[in-house]
Amino acid sequence: MLSVENLCKTFVNRKKGKTERVQAVKDVSFQCRPGEIFGLLGPNGAGKTTTLRCISTLIKPTSGDVHIDQYSVLKNEKEIRSRLGFLTSDMKLDGFFTPDYMMDYFGRLNKMDKINIDRMKRQLYSELQMEDFITKKIDKLSTGMKQKTAIAISLIHDPDVIVFDEPTNGLDVITSKSVTDFLLKQAEAGKTVLISTHIMTEAEKLCDSFGILVDGEIKELGTLKHILSSSSADNLEDLFFSYILPERRTQDVQ
Amino acid sequence: MFSDSMIIFRKELKRIFTDRRTLIFLVLLPLIMLPAMYSVMAKMDQAKQQDIAAYTSSIAFYEGRGNGDTAERFMEKLSAMNTLITPVDEDDIPRIRQSITEKETELLIVLPDSLQARMDDYETFDVGVYFNSASDYSQFAMGSVRGILQELNDEMVRWRVISRGIPEEVLSVFTVNDGDIIFDLAAEGSAMAKFIGLLLPFFIIIYLFVNSMKVGLDSVAGEKERGTLAVLLVNQVSRLSIVIGKMLSVMVAAIVGAASSILGLIIGSRYFASMFGETGGLSGYSMGGTGLVQFAVLIIPLAILVASMVIVISTYARNSKEGQGMIMPLYFAVMILGMATMQSGENAPAWMSRTPVVNSLLAMKSVFMHDAGWSSVLFASLSSCILAAILIYLTLRMFSSEKILFRI
Repeated sequence: MLSVENLCKTFVNRKKGKTERVQAVKDVSFQCRPGEIFGLLGPNGAGKTTTLRCISTLIKPTSGDVHIDQYSVLKNEKEIRSRLGFLTSDMKLDGFFTPDYMMDYFGRLNKMDKINIDRMKRQLYSELQMEDFITKKIDKLSTGMKQKTAIAISLIHDPDVIVFDEPTNGLDVITSKSVTDFLLKQAEAGKTVLISTHIMTEAEKLCDSFGILVDGEIKELGTLKHILSSSSADNLEDLFFSYILPERRTQDVQ
Repeated sequence: MFSDSMIIFRKELKRIFTDRRTLIFLVLLPLIMLPAMYSVMAKMDQAKQQDIAAYTSSIAFYEGRGNGDTAERFMEKLSAMNTLITPVDEDDIPRIRQSITEKETELLIVLPDSLQARMDDYETFDVGVYFNSASDYSQFAMGSVRGILQELNDEMVRWRVISRGIPEEVLSVFTVNDGDIIFDLAAEGSAMAKFIGLLLPFFIIIYLFVNSMKVGLDSVAGEKERGTLAVLLVNQVSRLSIVIGKMLSVMVAAIVGAASSILGLIIGSRYFASMFGETGGLSGYSMGGTGLVQFAVLIIPLAILVASMVIVISTYARNSKEGQGMIMPLYFAVMILGMATMQSGENAPAWMSRTPVVNSLLAMKSVFMHDAGWSSVLFASLSSCILAAILIYLTLRMFSSEKILFRI
């Protein structure tokens, strides 16, 4: 299980002798259970990526903690990484190599033996329909193929928790569908899945529970039924817009 | 941990040595370009010397007043040169001087008045030779005329002595090293060793640095820029393994690149040495077994140190371009230290033997000259290792800093 507890992240910028503090994530808490897909929704700059980066151990929380099972991102970085498959849109793959080489490379770095690497490769290539391009240089691949490769590499060590930041961003409908189907399968297989997105229709179809993040704060948390019951909005998109376009919310209340 | 470093090291090497462009810049270009460059330079230099020697210099000659036969003797001597001598009047002198400045005439020789009378009175007089140091032809003609005038001066001195009834042998009291005996007691090949010791350490440090820069700046700063570093950081690999793996790959690339450059230098050495008045190139030179071991003990820690310098800057920089700007002052500093080593003479100042990089270059110089002591070799090697360890630690600290690692 993935548990985010009172997570805060403040960035300190020093420019021309002036110190500026930007609180990107403010006291965020939520849980994501095995077999469940949790959607972290929010506009650009809401703090989604920062939250996910804290979960992935890329950056350290200013306060609060994140646990995967009994392991903490503050104390057990290595154990967290062994249980986590993480992907964000600003993480790229070295275009000089082929997907197959990179799968072997990251498999070895994740302490896997050849048998397990080959097993995971076969499984991921088949599920993500990658067989046709595994020996082509990543530089030569389409955006969709690159995204599938990035997903496969992030999951080569068969992690229990999958954290993807906007996994369908920039993909065509077919590739987007194959990625969302893949995530559903992973949840069905008992994995804990956390995705961030601002595509509400996709989130509504895919996620079991949601957290709406605006200006670094969780505004709504729970299942779709739960969060809609406490508002006048008819669907997730209306609810979402009521937070990022306050005038719309006022109209709703009136 | 070390196995992770090796996985990263192998991947980095694959990237470096299977990328055609990197391979061309790192290995092929120095191997082809250096001999080609030195060959062209030597051939150009040779052609220039031949052209100057074949050139008919234009010399204006003012014989002074009342010099008659004596001036004739000057003219006669000068006519042995490949020159066109034009007698000029006193009034022409300002115009001719201007013509020399404009490189239209090579020389103007001005004899003083009443030469014979001065000679008869045993007076010393001055012959003025105007030339242009910015013109190769003028400078070459000046050298030839100086020799001829010196010869004439010797003849005149001999004539003065003989005319007084003194035997001309008094003019020479002793000679130095005149005869068939070999007076130069340098061991066979040591002159070449000195030449190599003077130049090669400088070239080695420059090539190590340049090649480390070629691959090292891309290794971390380039990965930050492309967004590929974060993928590595979220996997089960320690930051130390990443730093060591990358540093080792930069070191190997730097050594391979430097070896290729040195090989190019050896191939081109025949031309290169000829430009400095040496002959034969470096091909006949041998370091010997101990020399090779000492060289390895010096070069590997030095390459690790240079790679660490580049990696620390590469880690701090936002991107390769910023890294290039940051590394240039360090590159110039290393170049200056390399030049200081070249000019250090046989007894280098104490600070040089205590300063990392410089002490390695000094020890390397001694190794090439076959007179290196193990203590200086080991001290230099140890100081490189210690400084490299400090830089690796600094890099590790940077790898733990979000501000540095994610400032793109």
